[in-house]
Amino acid sequence: MVSFLVEPLQVALTLLLAPGLVGLVRLLKARLQGRRGAPVRQPYRELVKLFGKERVVSRNASWIFHATPFVVLGTTLVVALLVPLLAAPLPLDGVGDLVVVAYLLLLGTFFLALAGLDPGSAFGGMGASREMTIAALAEPTLALAIFALAVGAGSTNLGRIVARTLSDPVETLGPGHVMAFAALAIVMIAECGRLPVDNPATHLELTMIHEAMLLEYSGPHLALLEWAGHMKFFLFLALISNLAFPWGVAVRPGPVALAIAVLALAVKVVLLAVGLAFLETQVAKLRLFRVPELLAVSFLLALLAVTTSFLVR
Amino acid sequence: MIGLLPMITTYLAGSAAAIALPGDRGRRVAQALAGAGALLGLATALSVIGSGKAAVFDLPSSVPALGLAFRLDALGAFFLALIGLVAVPAAIYADAYTKEEAPPSGTPGKAAPRSGRLAGATLNLFLLAMSLVVSAANVLAFLFAWEAMSLASYLLVVGDGEKAESVSAGRWYAGMAHAGFGLIAAAFFLLAARAGGDGFETIRSLSSSPGPALRNVVFLLALLGFGSKAGIVPLHVWLPRAHPAAPSHVSALMSGAMLPIGVYGLLRVGLDLLGGGPPWWGGVVLALGAVSALKGVLYALTEQDLKRLLAYSSIENLGIVFMGIGIGFVFHGHGRADLAAVALAAGLYHALNHAAFKGLLFLGSGAVLKATGTRNLEEMGGLIKRMPQTAACFLVGAAAIAALPPLNGFASEWLLLQVFMAGASLPEGLTAALMALAVGTLALAGGLAAACFVKAFGIPFLALPRSRAAEEAREVAGSMRFAMIALAAACALLGLAPSVVMSFLARVLGGMPGVDAGGALFRPGSVLEAPQGSSRIAPPLLALCLIVVIAALVVGLRLLGVRGRTRLVETWGCGRTVQTSRMEITSMAFAEPLRRVFAGLYRPTKDLTIGFHPESKYFVRSITYRSRIRSWFEEDLYRSFYDLLRPLAASGRLIQSGSVHLYLAYIVAALLIFLLLGRWL
Amino acid sequence: MSADLYTRLATLASSLVLLSGIAILWRHSLQAYIASFARQSLLFVMAILIVAVGEKDPRLYGMALMVFALKVVFIPRVLRRVQRHVGAEMEIHPYVNTPVSLALAGVLTLLAYAVAQPVVALSEAPTRGGIPLALAVVFVGLLILVSRRSALTQIVGFLVLENGIALLAVLVTSGVPLIVELGVFLDVLLGFLVMQVFVSRIRETFDTIDVDRLRGLRH
Repeated sequence: MVSFLVEPLQVALTLLLAPGLVGLVRLLKARLQGRRGAPVRQPYRELVKLFGKERVVSRNASWIFHATPFVVLGTTLVVALLVPLLAAPLPLDGVGDLVVVAYLLLLGTFFLALAGLDPGSAFGGMGASREMTIAALAEPTLALAIFALAVGAGSTNLGRIVARTLSDPVETLGPGHVMAFAALAIVMIAECGRLPVDNPATHLELTMIHEAMLLEYSGPHLALLEWAGHMKFFLFLALISNLAFPWGVAVRPGPVALAIAVLALAVKVVLLAVGLAFLETQVAKLRLFRVPELLAVSFLLALLAVTTSFLVR
Repeated sequence: MIGLLPMITTYLAGSAAAIALPGDRGRRVAQALAGAGALLGLATALSVIGSGKAAVFDLPSSVPALGLAFRLDALGAFFLALIGLVAVPAAIYADAYTKEEAPPSGTPGKAAPRSGRLAGATLNLFLLAMSLVVSAANVLAFLFAWEAMSLASYLLVVGDGEKAESVSAGRWYAGMAHAGFGLIAAAFFLLAARAGGDGFETIRSLSSSPGPALRNVVFLLALLGFGSKAGIVPLHVWLPRAHPAAPSHVSALMSGAMLPIGVYGLLRVGLDLLGGGPPWWGGVVLALGAVSALKGVLYALTEQDLKRLLAYSSIENLGIVFMGIGIGFVFHGHGRADLAAVALAAGLYHALNHAAFKGLLFLGSGAVLKATGTRNLEEMGGLIKRMPQTAACFLVGAAAIAALPPLNGFASEWLLLQVFMAGASLPEGLTAALMALAVGTLALAGGLAAACFVKAFGIPFLALPRSRAAEEAREVAGSMRFAMIALAAACALLGLAPSVVMSFLARVLGGMPGVDAGGALFRPGSVLEAPQGSSRIAPPLLALCLIVVIAALVVGLRLLGVRGRTRLVETWGCGRTVQTSRMEITSMAFAEPLRRVFAGLYRPTKDLTIGFHPESKYFVRSITYRSRIRSWFEEDLYRSFYDLLRPLAASGRLIQSGSVHLYLAYIVAALLIFLLLGRWL
Repeated sequence: MSADLYTRLATLASSLVLLSGIAILWRHSLQAYIASFARQSLLFVMAILIVAVGEKDPRLYGMALMVFALKVVFIPRVLRRVQRHVGAEMEIHPYVNTPVSLALAGVLTLLAYAVAQPVVALSEAPTRGGIPLALAVVFVGLLILVSRRSALTQIVGFLVLENGIALLAVLVTSGVPLIVELGVFLDVLLGFLVMQVFVSRIRETFDTIDVDRLRGLRH
């Protein structure tokens, strides 16, 4: 009985915690940079404020523009259904695997890019073009990182990958495992538009990527897209932490196990967020045309991860 | 059991009707009969696959001298079904599409119906020839049908021969098709000579006896010959020229149905007649496929002509199909019957999906062409408001080709990725590393295809119209929309019911030697399973999840009272007052970042001219920026080949005189020489 | 330390040594090169320590100490001084650009796997998983030598190459006889000192350390 509650619980957790995580990273970065920073609850307030506002929509926009926030948030929520945040394997384990997760996120990006083109604004088009460039170049890295994990577990199924790591703790120190996660981390930075690929705080037209596509959005639409962005970030961090270090995930879901799982997830995600805040304080944004070099590094990492895991096998 | 005869007679009747019936009626009846013939072919194919019994068609015994034999087995039936899948909607679409497509200048009225009728007749012959290729049962029948297919499609590309573009495209196409034909004929003749008979049955029974050298030569000849038909790099040069020149429904047929026939030929010769070979065969096919996939999508991305973009994307997709077939051959060579089955199934599944979405996209581009009169992306824009249904269908096609779940392109690419991951279990360490490269290539091609089709949908359909023609565009006729909606539905269904497709493919591949199709492919329920059950997905459930979640979002926001008035305003633009289409991003600019990233491969030429004000250099009057990408690799390759060939051709001119008697003398001499050769050999 | 953990840690350390070598291909400034080399040497020291613990061989501790003193402390310090002396130069136009260099590094790694396969198959050492990686470090060092212009980078490339060879030796034999290692060290030290002088001379002559300018000597 409890097992069927796991997935609604995951979705609810993602919806509720994601803005807080973003607020936390912002606060940490502010403190590291010597600013006071806004409180952790600030993103929630922003969402509430946006939901209460009117929509200002371009005359040129079509239904794509109105549908996109729902598609983007919808795909993110389905990802929250599939990814083992609290338990593994999940009841919907057979619906989709890690590859499906990657392509669902691409579906959201696809629509977001179309919505960027829709109002006919020069910035939106530019953002769409850049976003698709990065998404296209991140794709092979992501696939190879998935391959590296799959070679170890013999499957791309998320439940099996988690189970395999749980059964063989030494493997977490194997080079294949470490490099696959380094590659995944770089992909996360590129996909979530974090520094050094994209600056999430920028509103300078010529440097932005993700923000440029959202430029025409306002009110509830913008709130949905912002929320989806927060959730994507949360899910990526949760996915990385639970695949790299799955201890705490409930194998047999019961109330106690789930409570432990929630706690463990929170600790892992917060630790990763702290690390990310440090990193983002250290580095400067890369020029757009150095981003492919970064992704090439990550591709190489993933390739090495695959090859080393063969030989150690 | 319907048999092949009804289909053949319907096509022949269609051709005859086009010639015989006067005026516009000939064209319409011919197109209707083409659709009916394709439907009959589809029914025959499905019954052959369903029953497992081959459909046989022998020519009447009164013409035995021809020696043509036809027998449609499950493998051929799969490709016949694929032809039907594209041909039925294409025939429906053609009726309204070819209406009044007369050239606006010159002599309207008279010329149009005649060329329309001729095209109707050729369309029937083209479909007939394709259907006969996949049901041929001996070498002669195969080559005869193959040549007929090439000729008919050549005529369809050239059309009435009035457009210079079409004629040039036709010349390229004819050249490549005949070079390919020569290679295929050589492969078949080598086999037939060895087997002592030209029936496929005879060749198959002797398949193990020819020595490895001969087998390798036959395979490589077949690979090159069929590869040129399938548009595999570097033999693809005809494709981006021929597809845009042909009428759109013919483009859909050529891309969706005719290119995969190259795959059919490769499977027929390599797997069925030769019975498979060493793993390196598969390695070669895989490498060619990988190069084609990347090259195709990279050039599609920078293309400004919508139909050329789709043509390059066909190169990409056939490359992906070849990757699947190639890895299938690798597994086959290693004796892994179960993995070979899944790999080949993945390749064929993608061919089927490609037929659906590329057919749809070509029909969509035809609708846009019909409505705006241009294929240039830079002159389109805003069509989603003027042609909403065409736009929706095109969006489905674009999402499917970008491999987005839960549509069909995703299902086959998922399976192919899983096949490569399973390839890591092969004993050789290096093979496993190459699998990693294959996964990377496939994923990169997929990502670039997503970028490419954001452009191919976003630039023509979204934002403001970039030209007057685009502004005045109107939705196309109902029959054309119906054809597109049917194919869009096919894209969705093929993605949502993978188990049905796989159970069909299990029967199709069941007869192949060394392929364990039954055990590896069939799964109950609507899931798609990776080799050896290592992972599975359930596309219908995934689609359901998406729909439920999105519906819940919409309803949830309503319930929470989030309404928010909507105010329509101008697009924000940094304070300028009027927005025009000139401020939008262009198709070329959209691809610019990726052009720069891959500049080493594109080698673009740049040409920047700045016109200064005569008084002062600080005032710029005009800036002209021109950048061109040419496919330097093939141009250089074919140029050097041409340079090699020209002296030979020049010496060949010596025997040309224009005198009829001299030519007759040549024939007599040739006859005598062959008789003498026959005497002594 | 369990055998399984030992194997994994040794391979992990080797792959990190390789990655820090590859980092040089990605970075652009000479300062970063030197830092990367120091990091690589430090990781190499870690690898030696892991083998020392795994094999319970006390002599390896001594070797680790020596390598630390030489490659983590001394050589980077000298290199930094040279770099300050010639001015903060960037590796601006390498013969092979960054993405291609990285792709080449990937190909070279695959090649190293192919080449090392027979050795790995024969070896019984628990550290054999790192052998192809060490070989890849050698290849990456060669790649740096071939593809970069600045004389200082060439020295770094040479040192990376040497790190690779030393790592290979440690992994193949699970520890090197001290006397052999001493000889190699003296070799490196001598080579390094010669090169350092060489760089200063190039700079004095050409006012830059771009070795491309040496072509001018032909005329």
